[in-house]
Amino acid sequence: MDLTPLVRLRRAALRRPAVLVAAGPGATRVRLAVERELPRRGWPTAHGPADADLLVVAGDPGTGHAEWAAGVWDAMGAPRARVAVGAAERVADALDEAHRALLAACRATGGGHPTVERRPQEPGRGSDLTAHRRRSPGAGPQHGRTGHEEHTGHGTSGVAGAAMAERADDRDGLRLDRLHLPLGPMLPDWPAGLVLRLALQGDVIQRAAVETPPPSAHHTRPAYWDEPWLRALRGETVSRGAAARRLCAAHLDSLGRLLAVAGWGDAAARARSVRDAALTDTPAAELPPLVDALARRVRRSWVLRRSTAGLGVLTGARAVAAGATGPAQTATEDGHGDVYGRLLAWLAGAERASAESADARPLDGPAARTGPRGALDGPCPPSRALLDLLPALLDGAEFAGARLIVASLDPDLDGLVTSAAGSADGTEVRGG
Amino acid sequence: MADPGPLWSAALLPALLITAAAATAGLDAVLTAGAARGRAGTVRETASRAAAPVREVVRLLVRQPRRTTAMDVTLLRIGVVLLPTTAVLAAAVLPLGFRAVGDPDIGVVWFNALEALAWAAVWLTGWASNSALALIGGYRFLAQGLAYELPHMFALTTAALGAGSLRVGGVVDAQAGLWFVVWMPVAFVVYLVSAMAMAFWGPFDQPVGRDVSGGAGAELSGADRVLFFGGRWLLLVVAAAVGVPLFLGGGHGPWLPGWAWVLVKTAAVLAVLVRVRHLVPAVRMDRYTEIAWLVLTPLTVLQALVVAVVVLGR
Amino acid sequence: MTDGPLFWVLGVSAVVGGVSVFRFDSMARATYALLFSLLCVGGEVMLLGLDYLGVVIVLMMTVEMAVMGVFMIMYMMNPAGLTPMPMLHNRRGATVISLVVLAGLTAGILLVPWPSRRGRPPADATEQLGLSLMGPQMLTMMTLGMALFATIVATVVLATRRGRYDRLGDGLGARHADDPVRGGVGR
Repeated sequence: MDLTPLVRLRRAALRRPAVLVAAGPGATRVRLAVERELPRRGWPTAHGPADADLLVVAGDPGTGHAEWAAGVWDAMGAPRARVAVGAAERVADALDEAHRALLAACRATGGGHPTVERRPQEPGRGSDLTAHRRRSPGAGPQHGRTGHEEHTGHGTSGVAGAAMAERADDRDGLRLDRLHLPLGPMLPDWPAGLVLRLALQGDVIQRAAVETPPPSAHHTRPAYWDEPWLRALRGETVSRGAAARRLCAAHLDSLGRLLAVAGWGDAAARARSVRDAALTDTPAAELPPLVDALARRVRRSWVLRRSTAGLGVLTGARAVAAGATGPAQTATEDGHGDVYGRLLAWLAGAERASAESADARPLDGPAARTGPRGALDGPCPPSRALLDLLPALLDGAEFAGARLIVASLDPDLDGLVTSAAGSADGTEVRGG
Repeated sequence: MADPGPLWSAALLPALLITAAAATAGLDAVLTAGAARGRAGTVRETASRAAAPVREVVRLLVRQPRRTTAMDVTLLRIGVVLLPTTAVLAAAVLPLGFRAVGDPDIGVVWFNALEALAWAAVWLTGWASNSALALIGGYRFLAQGLAYELPHMFALTTAALGAGSLRVGGVVDAQAGLWFVVWMPVAFVVYLVSAMAMAFWGPFDQPVGRDVSGGAGAELSGADRVLFFGGRWLLLVVAAAVGVPLFLGGGHGPWLPGWAWVLVKTAAVLAVLVRVRHLVPAVRMDRYTEIAWLVLTPLTVLQALVVAVVVLGR
Repeated sequence: MTDGPLFWVLGVSAVVGGVSVFRFDSMARATYALLFSLLCVGGEVMLLGLDYLGVVIVLMMTVEMAVMGVFMIMYMMNPAGLTPMPMLHNRRGATVISLVVLAGLTAGILLVPWPSRRGRPPADATEQLGLSLMGPQMLTMMTLGMALFATIVATVVLATRRGRYDRLGDGLGARHADDPVRGGVGR
């Protein structure tokens, strides 16, 4: 081995690479496995492509996901490696393989240290990726898949093929610049696969439209979070305990995302580790104390209440009209129907569920039809109702508030089709 | 009492600040890892977790630099370099014991002015990145600045008023008997809050928050990222350290020499600030601005009034 | 002994910064070139021994230019160098005005009989400044301060579309103000 000192230094520095997880539709199981595996190894998670060494693409190809992932990949600087993981069982091996590829890549580019100007969005396909004035490669993960008619009218004057921001009246009646920003599908702590098309004026959202990926042809398994109830609806026998564990974990997963968006990393990490405890074989007796301790800590936070109360208020009538049934709807009955109310509804739901996790009786009655996000036998999937509610709630919200509102509804795009994807065991590693 | 230090102390200052920043970052890394992975079992594991920031710096430095499309490289470089520079320059008035690198007559205002330059640094970085989320992070810091600055200035004024001097050394001298924190508690608490806000740290980290995937620093990689986020650590250390001469009696204290007291007190303030990040979720500026202007500003004005009356009566 | 060269370095930098304001085609660059120029001026004032005034210039101008950034984003959400735009408007008029002002100032500098120094510079220039402002000029300063403050309040009141009756109802009796975005005090 004739490693130069520089290469040796780089390899040492990359012993714990920063990982960016790009989870697409149908990848909940894989995402959970990755999120469990990374802290175990002590590998940091990256906020975006700028500081990522390793890209883990989890999910079902064929939903346009691969294009987004390619955009993110283009935005990463060398040395870098990527791996596509299709099955949760393969995560540990896939990460090992990707890490080896990363170390090899750092050897390949070992000598020089060139400055490369990355232009992932060349004018030709730029408008495809960014749908408006081209942002940076780093904006890659926020960008949607396809261009949009609403933007083509503004032409491509300006620099680097970028259109000018046009003007429109703002909330206070001033005529100001308006920015069209596609948000998602790969932001950190964002519902996988969701794309929001925002018209922003300063920090204020003037208009929001929801865009969801088309259902994939690869759907073979039911949506992960709704699985026990869907199986029960199909007539299979599911124990109440198993369903309660899944419900508890689903609420804690949503909670973790909301807490992360609310800027409370520690509590979010705690929520995720309790979620993992609920999903793995932690004895049923140990689960309730863990959940209770977390719930107490979250409820005690005065700042969290102050900063989320009164945001994204959903009235009971509107929730019913949209067909929402789960925590989003119960929050309108017990509380004010705001972000904080939905958070409390999750906490209460997770506490109740954790107490039932030892129940071996079969799942039946109304509980057998109600998953984490609402009734599964209704006219539309529960997440559809949540998505329908989003645009009205986001109107006039400010950016940080909008992210909290999205996280507090936490629609599960896998649940939009009654059986969602879990693709074959395909792992693909690339270095570069 | 507070004399300007010798010339070599100016060379020593950045090294000292960087060491303090690394130690603080190490403490923070241990707490963060503790939340995600549970308590460290062994000393070895704790040390490994504490070394995470150093590993991170090396990891970033060996990465290939990357740029975004149509980025304003000049402005970005200015912003990224300006942040650590302002932190170090602001620290020039910090007395270690009773000697600072420089102890100008207007030390308190000097600190205030340089901390405002950090606003420019963060905004420039966010704007120049040419990325929507970085832009949002950049202007969030301006909103934050406008929210925290008013009560912050009154807190600084109160300390200067109590001492009858804008010289940091003079403020320390005035606390030979009684520390200012005792009779200016409101100003001290407001100062601590604004110290976190000026270093966009803890509950005030929204300008580089996770909801905007890193905000103003979202597009930075390699050395740029090290300078920007390293500069933020330096700023946090300096903001915490300036609280010591202003409110906690600087080098005054029994048994230990002055410099040791300053180190102990600074470490204590830093430990509090680091701990707050793990206990408190983010505070959004649309909510905090009203609190700052309608609650904290009147409180600090009242505090200044009380101090002014006491000073006049002396 | 370093003061002499420093004076020239700062002076030339200030002029270069000022000229660049008109050479750049990006609002952000122009703004920060202006800030650079003003920071150099602050440095010059400090060289004159007026530390307080110099640092206050640095502080005020930095905050001012930072606030300019807010307006920049309001009126132009195109960050970085995406959209070059001319920074020059009304060239002829501006040239005439600036030449006249320059000539006036130069004439003032050359023609005014500057007083020669009596006594010695004070040990603490900041204290002297405070005493002269708050001593004989107290009334002027207070009036000026109140006038400025009233102007700010009046401008905001005129500019905003919503008044307290929109927020709190006709009787001003609403418990919670009707704002598009709620504040943190919980009124």
